[in-house]
Amino acid sequence: MNNDFSKPQRQSAAGIVIMAAHTTVSIGRAFIFFIIYAFVKIQSAYLIYVLLSLAIIILGSFLFAYLWYIKFTFFLDKEKQEFVVNKGIFNRDQVIIQLDKIQQVNINQSILQKIIGVYGLKIDTAGAHGEEVSIKAIDETSAYNLKAHLLHKKVADENQPETGTEAQIVEETPFLKISSWTLFKVGLTSNYGQSLALLAAFFYTVIYEGRQLLDTFKIDKNVIESTVTGMLTIVTAFILIGLLLVVLLVINMVRTFYKYFELQISQHKDALLLSSGLIAKKNTLVNPAKVQITKYSQNYFQKKLNMLNVSLKQAHFGESKKGHEMQGNTMEIPGCNPTERDELLRMILSKLPETNTTFIPNWRFLNLPIFFKLVLPVIIFLVVALNVPEVKPFIAAAAIYLLAGIVMIYISYKKHRISVSDEFIVKKSGIWDISYEIITPAKIQAITTFQYPWHKGLDVGHLCLHTAAGQIHFKYGNYTEIKQLANYWLYQVEHKNESWM
Amino acid sequence: MPTETFTNEVIDISSLPKYEEIALQHPHSDYWKIISINLSIFLSIIGIGAAILLIFIKEISAHMLVIISIYLVLAAILFLLYRASFKKRGYAIRTHDVIYKSGIIAESTTIIPLNRIQHIELNEGILSRAFHLGSLQLFTAGGQTGHIHISGIPIEEAKSIRDLLLKKLDLNDNQTVDPEA
Repeated sequence: MNNDFSKPQRQSAAGIVIMAAHTTVSIGRAFIFFIIYAFVKIQSAYLIYVLLSLAIIILGSFLFAYLWYIKFTFFLDKEKQEFVVNKGIFNRDQVIIQLDKIQQVNINQSILQKIIGVYGLKIDTAGAHGEEVSIKAIDETSAYNLKAHLLHKKVADENQPETGTEAQIVEETPFLKISSWTLFKVGLTSNYGQSLALLAAFFYTVIYEGRQLLDTFKIDKNVIESTVTGMLTIVTAFILIGLLLVVLLVINMVRTFYKYFELQISQHKDALLLSSGLIAKKNTLVNPAKVQITKYSQNYFQKKLNMLNVSLKQAHFGESKKGHEMQGNTMEIPGCNPTERDELLRMILSKLPETNTTFIPNWRFLNLPIFFKLVLPVIIFLVVALNVPEVKPFIAAAAIYLLAGIVMIYISYKKHRISVSDEFIVKKSGIWDISYEIITPAKIQAITTFQYPWHKGLDVGHLCLHTAAGQIHFKYGNYTEIKQLANYWLYQVEHKNESWM
Repeated sequence: MPTETFTNEVIDISSLPKYEEIALQHPHSDYWKIISINLSIFLSIIGIGAAILLIFIKEISAHMLVIISIYLVLAAILFLLYRASFKKRGYAIRTHDVIYKSGIIAESTTIIPLNRIQHIELNEGILSRAFHLGSLQLFTAGGQTGHIHISGIPIEEAKSIRDLLLKKLDLNDNQTVDPEA
């Protein structure tokens, strides 16, 4: 086998076996119940057919694998610095990856690959599919050779992965430290939603398991249910709700302390080092250039306590379907005061974003949410309430819901803003937690603008900025302005050729 | 930062090239045939399923007329929607970016600057090959939604677009002389 991969070549022939096994297993998995059923239930006379069809499946897999093997070729185009893969049995697909866009090359071995003595090689780029190219069978020397070739340019980069480096950290005086007292305040004021979800999940399992227990021990459910409902007077209900709130706060507190205990940030070469954690200390190196979206948020309580949550979002490439390869990470720094936030922003964006022009959405922003979240549910509720006498007493709840909903949607409309200056784009949004997302135009990967036909005459349209760490939407803006902005950002991205990572 | 001759003149935003005024190229008319064939296959599969149900289940056969009319209306709507979306599709390659417009109801335009393209895929399905068409996919780091998938380009054109884009990508990369290297 040649070592420079300049000519189109197939994988190791063992790939046929691997692919066939892979196909058989996936077909088998899809029909597993059917197969088991067939073996258990069918009379022995028909067993031969079952075995025959199994044989056909396996044979078919091998045929498929063979064709796949014949059609799958790859080579390295030295001149263009590209890695080219041709594949597809019926379709003819060509995947071209530029070498410097490759983020990761993983070499691994499954059990079957181990038995046959080949390796699998996966190439990650910053595209959306976790792995664009996966070569299923390649011998060891070729695998490492290929990896070396693919990453040739990037050897220097490889030695400083952006996250999770723990070794040889020079102790420098941290410029930001979050004290326990601040953490206490953070625990009191943020992340209710997550804690509530946790609590709900906990209660659900407790009740579910409790039911199971009752069933197994044949305890009369009615007795327990009647005592429980008997206890539920209004006073106890209030006590219960109070208790629940306390539990919620305690959970919140524990979680905050567990994650962010002794959080400190120091500057380390050209990266920021974040370390935190109560039991297991987690160190994370963040390269400011790799932060895609910088976000800070604050709710009413936090505003009174003069603190903010800052989060740094990095590119989430390698988002494989199995989820365990998630490289995308959001660094949270809770409980900064405004000066610390400014210092952080200056660290990451090299200067503070000044807001120049602010764009506000059209009032039609309110239409859809009011209709789908308020009017429609309320109408359905009223129809139900008027027909079912048990629900009738709660009709007043609809009014409360409507009022609260209108206020919330109106707030979200009022807070939906995008401010643009030459160097920054700041998107403000939120109802309770008001957040500001900051990006520089260089972080834009693609721009989408869209408009509904009935908004054409009104000149109302929407904007979506795609970045490597998520999207930024601005809805119901003036479409002429949006198009102008898009042209301006395109100019900025294309003219400067600034790198985004 | 490069400290070469650096000028910083004021940009007249209104004089910047306007993406919305570019004349777009539309997919090849043969692509409509492919869409129609695909739709017909899909509809006939459903049709066969419905027919089997109609023939074998007595209770349903009473509603034969209703079902057939629903089926026909559905087919007509599908064809109309696809026709509308086919009409709306358009693409353009500029010196610095690729524009793709699409949409059934809402009209959406996505623009990818060339220096943000991660990689390019050229696909030919069985049907497309019969009509000498191909589809180009441009991937960015912006996730699923930041992609462009242009279908129904004549294969020769698709190949030349791919080569053109790849050449541009190379040029771009050579221009950005990495400061750390």
